[in-house]
Amino acid sequence: MAGHMLDIVLKNLKKKFDNGFVAVHNINLEIAEKEFLVLVGPSGCGKSTTLRMIAGLEKITEGEIYIKNRLVNHLMPKDRNIAMVFQNYALYPHMKVYDNIAFGLKMRKIPKPEIDKLVHEASEILGIEDLLHRRPRQLSGGERQRVALGRAIVRKPDVFLFDEPLSNLDAKLRVQMREEIKKLHERLQTTIVYVTHDQVEAMTMGTRIVVMKNGVVQQVGKPLELYEKPLNLFVAGFLGSPAMNFLNARVVEERGAFFVKDDHFSLTIPRALKNRYSELKEKEVIFGIRPEHIFDKTLTDPFPNGESLKAKIEIVEPMGSVVVLVARCGTSKIIASVDSKTKARPHVEMDFLLDMSQMHLFDKEFEEAY
Amino acid sequence: MDRFLTEKVKKAFLVIATVALFVFILFPPAVLFLTSIKTELDALSFPPKWFFQPTLKNYAAILKTSPLIGYAVNSLIVASLNTIACVVIGSMAAYSLARYKFKGSENIAFWMLSIRMMPPVAAIIPIYILMKNVGLLDTPWCLVITYLTFNLPFVVWMMKGFFEEIPRELEESAFIDGCSPLNAFIRIALPLVAPGLAATAILVFIFSWNEFLFALILTGTKAVTLPVGIIGFMKETGINWGYMTAGGILALVPVILFTMLVQKHLVKGLTLGALK
Repeated sequence: MAGHMLDIVLKNLKKKFDNGFVAVHNINLEIAEKEFLVLVGPSGCGKSTTLRMIAGLEKITEGEIYIKNRLVNHLMPKDRNIAMVFQNYALYPHMKVYDNIAFGLKMRKIPKPEIDKLVHEASEILGIEDLLHRRPRQLSGGERQRVALGRAIVRKPDVFLFDEPLSNLDAKLRVQMREEIKKLHERLQTTIVYVTHDQVEAMTMGTRIVVMKNGVVQQVGKPLELYEKPLNLFVAGFLGSPAMNFLNARVVEERGAFFVKDDHFSLTIPRALKNRYSELKEKEVIFGIRPEHIFDKTLTDPFPNGESLKAKIEIVEPMGSVVVLVARCGTSKIIASVDSKTKARPHVEMDFLLDMSQMHLFDKEFEEAY
Repeated sequence: MDRFLTEKVKKAFLVIATVALFVFILFPPAVLFLTSIKTELDALSFPPKWFFQPTLKNYAAILKTSPLIGYAVNSLIVASLNTIACVVIGSMAAYSLARYKFKGSENIAFWMLSIRMMPPVAAIIPIYILMKNVGLLDTPWCLVITYLTFNLPFVVWMMKGFFEEIPRELEESAFIDGCSPLNAFIRIALPLVAPGLAATAILVFIFSWNEFLFALILTGTKAVTLPVGIIGFMKETGINWGYMTAGGILALVPVILFTMLVQKHLVKGLTLGALK
């Protein structure tokens, strides 16, 4: 991170609840200025707890948190100069929208004319000027979300914290707010730490993603980095929809070439990857390939590293732009996302082409990528 | 058609039930009121007279000749101070029990409730001795303090429930917006439970206003409250029904006024949470 100013640093951060449950194990993380960092993982992975520790809403069991080079472990939330958007928006029901947005400024004893200016500025950015004199319960979900954002941006904090802000919205609104939050980030250039369980949100919004599971960071990186080079089985399966296919297989060497092999398939490992996997000879592995790297052979011209595989179609799911095929190859299930012109029908065996340059191999025991 | 009919029957039944219930509830106060505007002769006649010449003689007499106004002032002082103390202490205690869970906090809450389970009579002698020793007997203070024992647990339990229904994120959001815990309590939590608080305050006020047993034992002359004062019309020479009932009606008036004043909050408060 040389050259970048660091905004938030988490050092050996740990959270153990009173009931003994360890929600976060020893997290180390450096968040650069202006970054849009997404913490993503299934529920109970410790992502929200981590965020709440940064906010000061959750006591830190061990470790240190720095915001703008200042140790904040013992600072109250109000002294950390952060803003947070909650999943249920947490608008004050007894205050009008204007007062909701102005509340943080009032608490900081900012003069009234200044407050008025700032509130109108923020509401203009979010297009909620018409709502200023309404009460939260008179607003729709999307409007509430905007007010919550307004309340956060009006204070011009060092850091924005988002705790699953879009999960209470319907699908269409979610996409729209996703774009708006992204635009807001570009406009305000403020560091954002964003928690979500939705891998699509993580992939589309984050400049960097932290994948967590059971309180442990699995991998940190740019969205495409994580997508293309997952460090372990969990990250590989978590990011991407439909999820990556995993097949039990064996690495075999025959006449100088390496294969990923099972009773029902034998796929040549590309030459370029040969050296990387040569040590796995005769080893049981998990072979991973994403659905979008599997093609309908009848619709695809042969390409380098394209390997054939026969599988019996079980389900055909037309999605419009693509067709998702659920097929079976021996005991393994394979999901392929193929061209919508496919003629695939259930219960019929068909040929697929796998783009082996996109293959992944994982250790069977430790589930780590080779 | 069938459904329409059953709806109608249902509605009619509801109306009848409501009227019956109201007649049942309102019968005693109605008799109280009627007796208070009867002459002594009419009041004692049997079977009771339903048609008679009403008179305000009883009211005029007790307001002029007895220290009823003084009793009312005592009652007002005791009930108001007790209500204020209950609301201030009780809501803070309830908030901390609702929001700050610590080892034994549930036990503390239950212990408070258990105080209410105790029959008041059991405590009356010790309280009398205590009050005598600290020199508070026959002052409004001894009643204010004693009523706290019974009203505080009630307030704490009512308010604890209301506070627990506020989403925690509201206060967390307030913390981030710049509130200290006390500030978040005053500016966010308290306004949100205001209807519940008002409802609780009314019930506490009514309890203090109507309380009889402790008032009878702990006061003698100076700090006598209305319920005890009204009993004063029961003399060895006989019961003056006219005076007693008139006193009773006068004692009812402030409670009714107070309740009407905050009725909107009372309904809102007692159904708080049901609306969510």
